[in-house]
Amino acid sequence: MLCKNSANQDICDIPQQEVYDKPAFTVVVVGSVDHGKSTLLGRLLMESGAVEVDRVRRVETICAAKGSNFEPAFLLDALEEEQSQGVSIESTHCQLRYEGQKFQFIDAPGHLEFIKNMTGAASYARIAILVIDAVEGVRSQTIRHLEVLAMLGVTRLLVAVNKVDKINYDSAAYHDICAKTQELLNTLKLDCDHFLPISALNGENLFKASENLPWYSGKTLIQVLSELAPPAARGCNSGYFRMMLQDVYRFGGERFFAGRVVSGSITPGQLILFSPSGKVSIVEAIISYPDEKRELAVAGECVALKLSEQIFVERGEIVSRPDQAPEVLDEFIATIVWLAEEELELGAQYILKIGTAEVGCSVYAFTSNNESVDLLNRGDVRDVIIKPSSPIALDRIEGTSGLNRFVLCTKYDTVAAGSVMEEKRIFRGMPVASPFVQRENGYLERMVIEAAQGHKAAVLWLTGLSGSGKSALAKALEARLFAAGRTVMVLDGDNLRKGLCADLGFSREDRAENIRRIAEVARLLLDAGTLVIVACLSPYAEDRDRARSIIGEDDYLEIFLSCPLEVCQGRDPKGLYKKAASGEITSFSGLDSPYQPPVHPNLLIDSNQMSLDQEVEAVIALLRSKQVIGTAIGRIWPAKRPNTSQSMAREVI
Amino acid sequence: MTNYLDELESDSIFIIREAYAKSKNLGMLWSMGKDSTVLLHLVRKAFLGNYPIVVIHIDTSYKIPEMISWRDDFARRNNLRLIVGVNKRALADGMAPEKGRLQCCGSLKTEALLDIVHEHRIQALLIGIRGDEEGSRGKERIVSPRLHSSTWAYKQQPAELWHYYNLHLPQDVHVRIHPLLRWTELDIWNYIRREKLEVIPLYYAKDGKRYRSLGCYPCTDSIESGARNVDEIIEELKSTKLSERAGRAQDKVDTYAMQKLRKSGYM
Repeated sequence: MLCKNSANQDICDIPQQEVYDKPAFTVVVVGSVDHGKSTLLGRLLMESGAVEVDRVRRVETICAAKGSNFEPAFLLDALEEEQSQGVSIESTHCQLRYEGQKFQFIDAPGHLEFIKNMTGAASYARIAILVIDAVEGVRSQTIRHLEVLAMLGVTRLLVAVNKVDKINYDSAAYHDICAKTQELLNTLKLDCDHFLPISALNGENLFKASENLPWYSGKTLIQVLSELAPPAARGCNSGYFRMMLQDVYRFGGERFFAGRVVSGSITPGQLILFSPSGKVSIVEAIISYPDEKRELAVAGECVALKLSEQIFVERGEIVSRPDQAPEVLDEFIATIVWLAEEELELGAQYILKIGTAEVGCSVYAFTSNNESVDLLNRGDVRDVIIKPSSPIALDRIEGTSGLNRFVLCTKYDTVAAGSVMEEKRIFRGMPVASPFVQRENGYLERMVIEAAQGHKAAVLWLTGLSGSGKSALAKALEARLFAAGRTVMVLDGDNLRKGLCADLGFSREDRAENIRRIAEVARLLLDAGTLVIVACLSPYAEDRDRARSIIGEDDYLEIFLSCPLEVCQGRDPKGLYKKAASGEITSFSGLDSPYQPPVHPNLLIDSNQMSLDQEVEAVIALLRSKQVIGTAIGRIWPAKRPNTSQSMAREVI
Repeated sequence: MTNYLDELESDSIFIIREAYAKSKNLGMLWSMGKDSTVLLHLVRKAFLGNYPIVVIHIDTSYKIPEMISWRDDFARRNNLRLIVGVNKRALADGMAPEKGRLQCCGSLKTEALLDIVHEHRIQALLIGIRGDEEGSRGKERIVSPRLHSSTWAYKQQPAELWHYYNLHLPQDVHVRIHPLLRWTELDIWNYIRREKLEVIPLYYAKDGKRYRSLGCYPCTDSIESGARNVDEIIEELKSTKLSERAGRAQDKVDTYAMQKLRKSGYM
């Protein structure tokens, strides 16, 4: 329309948001095989006028050739195999507009064999229509589909009891099916109060109320759908900023960090953290084509970031604000649906994909009502424990980012879909003491502290005989690291026995408990970002292994001070060997109590041969090689220190 | 993002970037039609104004002549790395629609495409098909692996969930990626209008006729239409009672013609 008259200009320029220009609500149609899902959709398409006349004519021709009545399902099920067998193999997408709303319907196949297609279809949906055959009632596939919906978090639900013409529009039979379905929904904690009787084939109670259902005074299917449609389609900008890093491009000598914002928003100048690598930088510019520089990028958008400080990161990282980091876990609990024909192999390696990250993982335990399950068959929905081979970033809490959803793959196939459970029953390999005690989350993340202070946290566990030089090395290390501006703390076994462990003696049990307490304290300090130096005889390998599992494999660095017993006895800095010789003390490690030297320590120090300086250098080298200190982390975000001379001394290491 | 075109665009760019990140040698098919021209624009957006992938046109030699001149002009102006695939053997042997439409499509399009895929070791192909075009395309996945005979195994398609696309493939398999699968014909035209894209003028009505879908001249009919610009096309589509490919002869050869063609590797 041409508007040359300026008086009319305003009217013409007002963007009329027609239904065509609105986002579509995605609705998946699920239910058991032959319960009438495709027929329902075919009928909806026809009655809404969404399907072109030549397509309808084509189906008429096909049905006439087969000598059958018109099959609305054929409008969707276009494959020859689907039409000859009267079954949906693949899901189909189709659009329908109704009174200012646009719906994208996905027809999901009902067959167990095609559960992967149904799960995929439902993963895109915000609303689900569950179709139940009035004659057959709830079948095993009905239950399975509901379990999958619950796992996927598709909780806006409508139950359509189909083929009511086949039960002579019997109200009692209809209500019986509704009651049984309600029971099932309650078990699965799915909330639904939209039940309605329909006949898809006859088009009854879809767009128009049916004369054959005088006892039903509720809404038609399309009316219920309109009410279920959520107010906003997608792209909710609330929630923490998250961007999945897809790729790093080099164009014109510049590097662009390309990715999709999945929740929240980002502006230039923002300090950002990459997880799980823990690297930090600042957004210099947000780039998209053709509008070069942007002031804002919001959820849903694919953009590229230019960083003011060059860091090396790769596809798979999650970008966030440092104070709103995703969790980085090496173990979590999830609900999965098994999609592959082959059973789940316990302990076998799978590829875990979350966001754009891909790591190996093993699914190493099952819990269903806390009982272990030996295998998973196609279509089974179960709780599992997943252990990635390296820590992976995710959002455990269901939010807007979708980073609690994942798939498990073999080399070429997707074998399971899952969502991470909010519950965190396990922590670093240790079960919590009581099932009633839950870990409180939301405290300052260790990674953030590490980024702020410019080095990582770790536990240096010094073990060796009395007199092997643990305390001396601990003190020298503490002085050296502190001078370099590192956060450091020494836990001396003897000192702890004066307080925290004052109730413990030297029996086998007490020694084990002593080590457990020291390890737990070390873990707390670790979470505060501290470099912890433990100086503790710790003679038993079993106890040290336990300490390792409490602290975590990656953070526990075992340093064995090796020194012949005679040399230690000669040094005897605390006079303990003399007391042992005189019988004043018993159960003395190395004498009448065993000392089990570590077989594979992270570092072996021959304290009989090395000078204290050499020992310190060896430990510093270990910390560097483990990238605890001396990495790029924190270079651009130096922590504020009260004493500037300390920051200057940082250059020492 | 409240605009649905932003959402469609963003979904497609995500898919294109995934394909580029995960595939060794990515190419895209360009037929000069409206869909693959939109796809070309999305590729450019995904890569911040660059075209880091090859653009392939399968030329049957039966294309409407204006298409070829427009192709060369557009490619030159936009600096495209254009590869043109022609099945010269079949043409020398006299392949033509009169030999059978399906045979002709299979030979001059499918075979020509597979030759290019092998010759240039293409591992992944971006293709601008849409689910609402016709029945068998409605059954497609965003990512569709093709066995080395390029067969579409529609009964055993891998699961596709959320934004997770399975792009790991054995050596002898190439993969078709369909970033526009969830777009409709109307979406395409709305997007062309919004982005002010240049499309081949054959879509605009001349003497009361225009092409709604472009193909080879012996097998493609124009439709009666007065739509001379994008706005008028959009208005026309809102009230049309006929499907987009109603003018495409190969679809109507027999009931499952498209399925058969596409099963053996047709786009």
